[in-house]
Amino acid sequence: MNPPRTETGRRDLPVELHERKRIILRELKERCLWFIRLRWLVPPSILAGTAVAGLLGVEFAAASILLVAAFILIYNVAFLLWGRRFGADPSQEADSLRSFAHWQVALDYTAMFLLIHFTGGAASPLIFFFIFHIIFASILLPSRSAYGFSILVVVGMAIVASAEYLGWIPHRPLLFRGRFIDLVEQPFHMMVAWGFFAATVSITAFATSSIMRMLRKRIDNLTELNETVSELNEKLNTLYNVIQAIGSTQKFEATLETVTRELASVMEVRGISIKLLSEDGRFLRYAAAHGLPESIFRNRVVEVAKSPLNRRIIEGEPYVTGQVTQPEMFQFGEDLAAAHLQSALFVPLTVEARVTGILGAYCVRPDRFGSEEVEFFRLAAGLVAIALENARAYEAVENLVKERAWFTMRVAHNLRAPLAAMQSILEVVRGGYLGELNDQQKEYLRRLNRRVGTLLAMISELMTLARSRSEKIRVADETVDLSVIATRIERTFKDEAAEKGLDFKITVPEDLPVIRGDSGMIEQLLENLVSNGIKYTASGGKVCVTFSKGAGNVRIEVGDTGIGIPSADLPNLYKEFYRSDSAKAIEAHGTGLGLPIVKEIVDKHGGRIMVESEEGLGTIFVVYLPVERGASGGVDSTTDASLKKDAPVVPNQGNGRNRSTLSRSAQAAADFVRQMVRAASETDWSHPRGSAGRGQRNFPLRRPAPAG
Amino acid sequence: MSEKGEILLVDDDPDIQDSLRIILESNGYKIRTASNGRQAKAAIEEKIPDLMILDIMMTTDTEGFDLAYELRDNPEFKNLPILMLTSFLDKVRQEGPGPFEFIMGEQWPAHWLFEKPVEPKKLLAKIESILKET
Repeated sequence: MNPPRTETGRRDLPVELHERKRIILRELKERCLWFIRLRWLVPPSILAGTAVAGLLGVEFAAASILLVAAFILIYNVAFLLWGRRFGADPSQEADSLRSFAHWQVALDYTAMFLLIHFTGGAASPLIFFFIFHIIFASILLPSRSAYGFSILVVVGMAIVASAEYLGWIPHRPLLFRGRFIDLVEQPFHMMVAWGFFAATVSITAFATSSIMRMLRKRIDNLTELNETVSELNEKLNTLYNVIQAIGSTQKFEATLETVTRELASVMEVRGISIKLLSEDGRFLRYAAAHGLPESIFRNRVVEVAKSPLNRRIIEGEPYVTGQVTQPEMFQFGEDLAAAHLQSALFVPLTVEARVTGILGAYCVRPDRFGSEEVEFFRLAAGLVAIALENARAYEAVENLVKERAWFTMRVAHNLRAPLAAMQSILEVVRGGYLGELNDQQKEYLRRLNRRVGTLLAMISELMTLARSRSEKIRVADETVDLSVIATRIERTFKDEAAEKGLDFKITVPEDLPVIRGDSGMIEQLLENLVSNGIKYTASGGKVCVTFSKGAGNVRIEVGDTGIGIPSADLPNLYKEFYRSDSAKAIEAHGTGLGLPIVKEIVDKHGGRIMVESEEGLGTIFVVYLPVERGASGGVDSTTDASLKKDAPVVPNQGNGRNRSTLSRSAQAAADFVRQMVRAASETDWSHPRGSAGRGQRNFPLRRPAPAG
Repeated sequence: MSEKGEILLVDDDPDIQDSLRIILESNGYKIRTASNGRQAKAAIEEKIPDLMILDIMMTTDTEGFDLAYELRDNPEFKNLPILMLTSFLDKVRQEGPGPFEFIMGEQWPAHWLFEKPVEPKKLLAKIESILKET
């Protein structure tokens, strides 16, 4: 069980606030530094303005103004030094950062008032520069401070004007061609100018601070949106994991495990349960329960008729409760209470409008599940239902395949016993134990014996095939030294090839890697290919086996200069009982199971087989076996230079079962076996020697569905 | 014809029983037959033969094995050499106590195992060598 997790669903509030504060302070610091950079432009501008005004013949207190410029320069240097003292994390020094901002604004205002005083006081054209200050203050400081500073400006201007009017401070007007705007002489004009100035400043303060408020709200919204998006992302990830589980896990139990674990994790709940509905819809069985005490689900079966709650959910209605205190609703209410579970949420598992079970979530917090969670849970339930259905279907197919293999095996076994008895009796007669035979009798009994032998061989190979397809026999995962197998193959076939007058050669490079697999199977694979090669190659021909190292695989080429395979027969090469006309001409009674077995073994090793053949010239089989099991042994056929481009390349085919494509000649043999199979299927297995029934052409190798 | 020894032939298939009996008798062995484990046990208790040829799958799939293990664990009969026969070698390989390689090992209660049909020559040669050993 996973360790208990926090169930708040969101991050802690203090943490969240702290984070926000940190962001705001960092922005304040950045803005302050931006103003310092901007302020460097002010003294040169004053200097330039003074120079231009002097050239135009304006008379004013130039020296005092330049002193103010120097003052600005000095305090900006001071601020620059102060600003460098702030570290990367401004939240540690919030107070000093705030006074840093306030000091800047205050000194800027002081400098501004001085400039205005020296350029004509109330009549100064510079007063409108205050508007910039108001804008900056509202960007830099909370909106209340912006209003405060605008009031300060208006009041300050009123004081300056009054003081100059009353003669408390000297009036320093701007003189142009000996004349000046003397607002002191005209108090009404001064009042109007001040009034409009006050209005302009107030509107600016209002406008900028409202814009800033909007911006700040927008930032908050974005932050919230960001959080929602990341929550959604997490949920999507879970759904993705569930989908992955659908694709990758074919085992029912593993699928249950994965989906309950993932859902519990993303919904941040204590437990997730899956109850499955029985076929008749009368019972719900707990199939999985992640994070719940075992007592709740172990061997528990809910009778639907007795549970109004479950009935409602099965009818399609989700059920949410924030207080698991209604014992009449919960059959195991006490158990839930004992586990401190307070909230529960149940939705139906539905596949194509058919309810297959119920998905449940449990949480220790009361009133945990909101409508959004219910929606998500419904969505997840859809995927879970598909995942389970998928796994179930896969297992059913797997069972069917096993069942088929088992059946084939059983049939083959029961065919063997009477044939063994037949041959045994033949041995008695042929051995002369019952009296001497004449030559003709001997010859016919020899033929009979040979046909029985062929039938026995066919059944043996059928059994091998069935066995390798049933999961019972696993391919051994051992180190296979192909050079050892090569030596054995050479020994096995040397005499046979020599008798037939064939050039038989096996080439193994020194650095051939060992591979993982089943050496018995690989030997059989090579035996089948080499024995075919020898069988179908006329005297004076060649049979070569060449091993070579590929990228992550071993390439085995078995080539002969035999009769070749007609191109029309290539697609049917790996079908059971298939024998081409040309093969029949050489050997009348083959089993047609050699190559299907070869293909089965190659498949079991995750390898590939390709064939190139030309009638009358020969055949080359190329087998790729991966060095590591599970690694792909396949190579793109087009990159294999040794295979001629125009020759038909037949990559190994699926287990084609298209019986209708069997050629007429093979049909007879196949029909015979089918008849036997059919007869065997009608046999009661408890009495293995039942009588054979009449044949039917297309008997499917299938038994009624397995129980379980 | 001098008697080479007495063999108890246990097989539920009358055709196999008959044909092997004819071959063995013609080669100088005295043959008694049984068609299942119970009959075989009774025959052994009556008189211990020199060798037993024992089919594995009879009424039950493991009847031959059951008898062979029973005899091996019984001090009175544990020295009786057994030669096993089966039509289903791959089934025996698959479901028996171990892989084929162990057949002659200590795990197995028999001296040898043949797959049916068995060539008379091989069978006779094996019987002879087993009887010589014991």
